[in-house]
Amino acid sequence: MAGFVHRHRWLIPYALMAPGLLWLIVFFVVPNVQMFIFSVSEGTLQTGFTGPPEAWYPQNYPNAVAKFEENFVNSLVYGGLATTLCFLIGYPLAYTIAFRGGRYRNLLLFLVIAPFFTSFLIRTISWKIILGNDGPFLSVVRDVLGVVPANFTVIGTPLAVVAGLTYEFLPFMVLPLYVSLEKVDRQLVEAAQDLYAGPWRPGGTIAGAICGGALGVALVVGLGYSGLVGSGVAISTLAAAGMVGAGMGGAVGTWLISQSFLRVTLPLTIPGVFAGSLLTFIPAIGDYVNVALLGSPKTQMIGNVIQGRFLNQNDYPTASTLSFILMAAILVAIAAYARVLGTEDLGASAA
Amino acid sequence: MSDQDLVRTPITRRGFLAGATLAGFGAFLAACTTSGTASESPPSESATPAPSSSATPAPTSAPVEGPLNFANWPAYIDLTEDESSSPTLTDFEAKYGIEVKYVEDIQTNEDFYATLAPSLQAGLDTGWDLIVITDYMALRLVEAGWCEKIDPANTPTAAANLRAALRGIGWDPNQDYHYPWQSGADGLGYNRKSTGRELTSIADMFDPAFAGKTTLLSGYQDCFSYVALLLQARGEITNKAPDLTPEDGQKIVDFLKPFVDSGHIRAFTGNEYLQDFGSGDTWVAQVYSGDLASSAGEDDVFVYPVEGSIIWTDNMLIPKGAAHKRAAEAMIDFVYDPAIAARLANWIYYISPVEGVAEAIKALDPEAATNPLLFPPADVVAKQQGQIVVTAEEDKAFSDQMAELTGA
Repeated sequence: MAGFVHRHRWLIPYALMAPGLLWLIVFFVVPNVQMFIFSVSEGTLQTGFTGPPEAWYPQNYPNAVAKFEENFVNSLVYGGLATTLCFLIGYPLAYTIAFRGGRYRNLLLFLVIAPFFTSFLIRTISWKIILGNDGPFLSVVRDVLGVVPANFTVIGTPLAVVAGLTYEFLPFMVLPLYVSLEKVDRQLVEAAQDLYAGPWRPGGTIAGAICGGALGVALVVGLGYSGLVGSGVAISTLAAAGMVGAGMGGAVGTWLISQSFLRVTLPLTIPGVFAGSLLTFIPAIGDYVNVALLGSPKTQMIGNVIQGRFLNQNDYPTASTLSFILMAAILVAIAAYARVLGTEDLGASAA
Repeated sequence: MSDQDLVRTPITRRGFLAGATLAGFGAFLAACTTSGTASESPPSESATPAPSSSATPAPTSAPVEGPLNFANWPAYIDLTEDESSSPTLTDFEAKYGIEVKYVEDIQTNEDFYATLAPSLQAGLDTGWDLIVITDYMALRLVEAGWCEKIDPANTPTAAANLRAALRGIGWDPNQDYHYPWQSGADGLGYNRKSTGRELTSIADMFDPAFAGKTTLLSGYQDCFSYVALLLQARGEITNKAPDLTPEDGQKIVDFLKPFVDSGHIRAFTGNEYLQDFGSGDTWVAQVYSGDLASSAGEDDVFVYPVEGSIIWTDNMLIPKGAAHKRAAEAMIDFVYDPAIAARLANWIYYISPVEGVAEAIKALDPEAATNPLLFPPADVVAKQQGQIVVTAEEDKAFSDQMAELTGA
């Protein structure tokens, strides 16, 4: 026996890998091949499918892009905005827990993931209540502050969808950020401070104002008020959003961002930012539940189209084509992002 | 989503109110994900024959052999007070001395179709002897030749008692393949407090005062049929709802699109409109009969619109190759006994397809006999139309048109 193992020890790595490989082949490779064949076929469950090897329909791809361009754009914009907002909310949160959490650290982390103890659906549905006509958000904004007209609705707007997505995926951003922040060696920060890394002024003020202003404009455009562009209202709305964003960003840059943070902490946590962004962006871009519950016909994301085509219209070819395009789009986006951040090794942040 | 089915998250008359909204959501989400889990109803195990006074034995010589594998929607059967068994099933078992394997396995028409199609395509027994499927999907199965022909000699009660309105259906005019199980209607639902006035018509839904607070159902079978009633009243469409063509569909899209683009119609929904009525986000909606009455607030009202309403029916079918076809026929005939049908209708709150239920139900619950949800008045029935009936090609055309409206 021992001799057998010894003689065939080159097999051992393969034997150890076998369960994982088998899993991948059965549940990833095989379905993907099937999906690919569907994606270049034609027909529905009712009419039957015609496809390879008899006939190929590669034109499905350009057709799908042309037909559902709007849904792809919605997905990218909402997914991107939700990821950005998750980062803006998540980074300070993770920073505070890691650096100032003290003995409450574990409790605070627990609170971050506590929502997961409730069903995903219940959490999304609760946003319907929060943003609903009789909900707390409108009762403050509309009834108390009176800044919106009486028939104003939030449900059904991109605002509701992005809010839902941001909330849903926030923990996926916070946890990787926390892990990377927690690993930062404090002595490095102290050393930086000893070496005159003080407040970051006026650089922080300027950078903060630019980033904040850009984000304000992006939010307004991305949230679908871009239809107003061209009219006087739009310019003033955009300008207002940009000013508010710039003001807030400037304040943050002036008082909260120090040279030591900029030069030591942030670079050391880039892997966390990368991992958190991916874990947020990928599920957010493919999500369809938030739109189904919080959106309207005008906010449909690509996930909703895929879901409808697969399950309702039984149009497997279109659904498969869209799935592949989405997969490709995500891979391209990640590759570009990795290049920009200079973090091509996702493993570094997974620790 | 196949919203039309979601509604069928059926409402029993007792003990369902509180959970209805969330339960509806469960069904909705089940429809969103791939397939719902089957929940088995409490099996009625007593197969001991007991004296039954209600009906005469089956008229043919072919023996009724079991077990009868019966797939139906959740909460679509009457239950005893303690909800441990179904009187209808128990009585059937007693009468024929066979077991009924009643499984609440159907969550949506589309999902159930997807489970049947491979077996039927391959000419195999699906494992079911009797299934309950909505018109448009029943048509699809019948046209594919995937149903056993019902032997009229075994279903005399059903043949005699089927309501006239449900006879002569285009895809199976002589009940060769199907008998209805229950029906329901699409009509107008609104919250009296929010709208500030009583509504009577589909046209009322497009009052600018209700912008952003209006929803329609998301399946074209519901949505197009219903909006067609309005366009018929305006003289823009001449075809009755079942005969709508893709050209009519385009007129409906052209009519609705501006309302969708302006945000007047906020969403196309399944029966989660129940929730939206609760939160005040929906004031006016296309809804299924019965839902609001049983599961929403007291200001939420259901009316049959003056333009008419859409009636749909869930039908009993025997899938091709069923092992116990004779037992399925016996069950079809059995539930068409007015006394049994009345007991069923009095529990599940839908429209019974059986003539004589109105009289029979008086003995059980005098109030139920005048409930317009159970017994739509004659003027309502006169204006009711069926859902769109389509071929596979038309299905694709209508689906695409609907997708244009729903944005997905």
